[in-house]
Amino acid sequence: MTALLTVSDLQVGFQDRGRIMRAVDGVSLSVDRGRTLGVVGESGCGKSVTSLAIMGLVPQPPGVIQGGEITFDGKNLLALPPKEMRALRGGRIGMIFQEPMTSLNPVYTCGEQINETLRAHGMSAPDKARARAIELLDLVGLPSPAKRIDDYPHQLSGGQRQRVMIAIALANDPDLLIADEPTTALDVTIQAQILQLMKDLQNRTGMAILLVTHDLGVVAETCDDVVVMYAGLVVERASTASLYSDPQHPYTIGLMAAVPRITAKAERLDTIDGTLPPPWVQIPGCRFAPRCPLATDKCRAEQPPMREITPGHQVACWFAPIDERITTP
Amino acid sequence: MTASVPLTEALDDTAPPRQAWWKALLRDRAAALALITLLSIALAALLAPLIAPHDPYEGTRSVMQPPVWAERGDWTYLLGTDGQGRDILSRLLYGTRLTLLIGILSVGLGATVGSLLGLLSAFYKRIDPYVMRFADVMLSFPAILLGLALVAIFGPGALPVIIALSIATVPDSARIARSIAIGVMEQEYIEAGRAIGLSDRTLFSRYLLRNSISAIMIFVSLRFGQIILIGAALSFLGLGARPPAAELGMMASQGRDFMLFAPHIAFIPSIAIFVIVLAANITGDAIRDVLDPRLRS
Repeated sequence: MTALLTVSDLQVGFQDRGRIMRAVDGVSLSVDRGRTLGVVGESGCGKSVTSLAIMGLVPQPPGVIQGGEITFDGKNLLALPPKEMRALRGGRIGMIFQEPMTSLNPVYTCGEQINETLRAHGMSAPDKARARAIELLDLVGLPSPAKRIDDYPHQLSGGQRQRVMIAIALANDPDLLIADEPTTALDVTIQAQILQLMKDLQNRTGMAILLVTHDLGVVAETCDDVVVMYAGLVVERASTASLYSDPQHPYTIGLMAAVPRITAKAERLDTIDGTLPPPWVQIPGCRFAPRCPLATDKCRAEQPPMREITPGHQVACWFAPIDERITTP
Repeated sequence: MTASVPLTEALDDTAPPRQAWWKALLRDRAAALALITLLSIALAALLAPLIAPHDPYEGTRSVMQPPVWAERGDWTYLLGTDGQGRDILSRLLYGTRLTLLIGILSVGLGATVGSLLGLLSAFYKRIDPYVMRFADVMLSFPAILLGLALVAIFGPGALPVIIALSIATVPDSARIARSIAIGVMEQEYIEAGRAIGLSDRTLFSRYLLRNSISAIMIFVSLRFGQIILIGAALSFLGLGARPPAAELGMMASQGRDFMLFAPHIAFIPSIAIFVIVLAANITGDAIRDVLDPRLRS
């Protein structure tokens, strides 16, 4: 079976005073129906731009899609006429955002906003739309949906708003849900509830989920497969189990070490030295080399290709496969 | 659906907690008073031909008659007469008519065009530089000068004043609407609206316009007050309404000559201007609150 969504060698740049900065530089990934793919990386590594590109929402200008292909259910999204792309957005592809506090239109009630999605995709009967809106709010676990439907966003809490956002994204039974940091702005207990909700809904509807996050804990809980991004590139791709048990890229290993643990005795948190290179800096070799404890001259000179280490586990690093003990101090 | 039974029950007892907007408006006492004042003034102005006790243009011999409450007051002329013996009450009614017409039309035309330009240039960033340079050029052109030029073309009267004031309102409201709209465009719900597949038209009207309008209303109501004052000033300078037509600003200016013996001739229209402007500002403020659900409760 071919994957529902395939992104291959996507390149997105942003124009700035004549120069073009590459935010995404050859990203490939794919998601199947009923599966969840996590896209992990630091802020600014290009993960949000990738998800916006899939939705056709990269602002152009200043954004430029410079190459690659995005295939959704056999259709090349980059070549799709705007009208068909609009029909996909909110129709077969739903999206939820990071900030539930600001991603709902403050002047309309929850019900009106769900109806808007339904209307934009062909459902016009108002009483049917209202019944569907209540059903959706019930589905996402909003208490007393028949009353809440007439509430304005400011009358709801953050977690409730994110539930409404999910209801909007799910209104037209999408095949793919793109969630861009859906739980980052929520506190931990609500976070767990929202993730659980997304999982339950996936079990029910069989949709694919693309989860963009910087939180490795969230990935471990929800994703089947993971893609690790660094500076606009995918550096490691694996199933969640394989990635956690046997991280291969020094960046991934560094990320794992930087997760605070209750059991650890250490007083100081391990960090990765340095910062993500800004997009206008050209790094000839491996982009992680300047921050990598293992970097050699070869790393600095030549970009490592993606190689399969074990079945389904790919890494872009000259050292792979590596024994984890080398890098842990 | 398994949950359909409790859902239909729940549907029946829905009591939408929303208030009709006009109820919310009337709950604010100052706003209600301002609105009622404004409406009654507008109604009186509208009905001027029916309720005016005398001809507003025909002079009589009883010149500079004081109002009824003053010494030597007379019930024939409730608010007295002006320097040419015309009934001030009747002139006030007709004058308010013209003043309101100038204010409403100028602000209505100017702010609508200007706000649309401002909103569009925030929405389509491509046209932004052009619209804004255009606005800058218009801004550097004083309204009074424009008024003079138009009077030279059309001759004095209400029409050139309305055109001049509309044109003068366009760049101001374009600038203000744009700065409000840019803030709105940065909100995540705009992107969320795109992500559910809304058309540009829906996004513009239901997301951008609807979220900018309450802030724009503040400008409009302030501008309405200003326009009435500028319109009055233009009439005062002899550029506006042509005598014997009555206009509040012109009435005030004519009264200036009699300030020492009959101050009511200037005061009465001035008070009318004051009341209209104040009521308009308070109403505008209240409309802003009503348009924003976050401020309604």
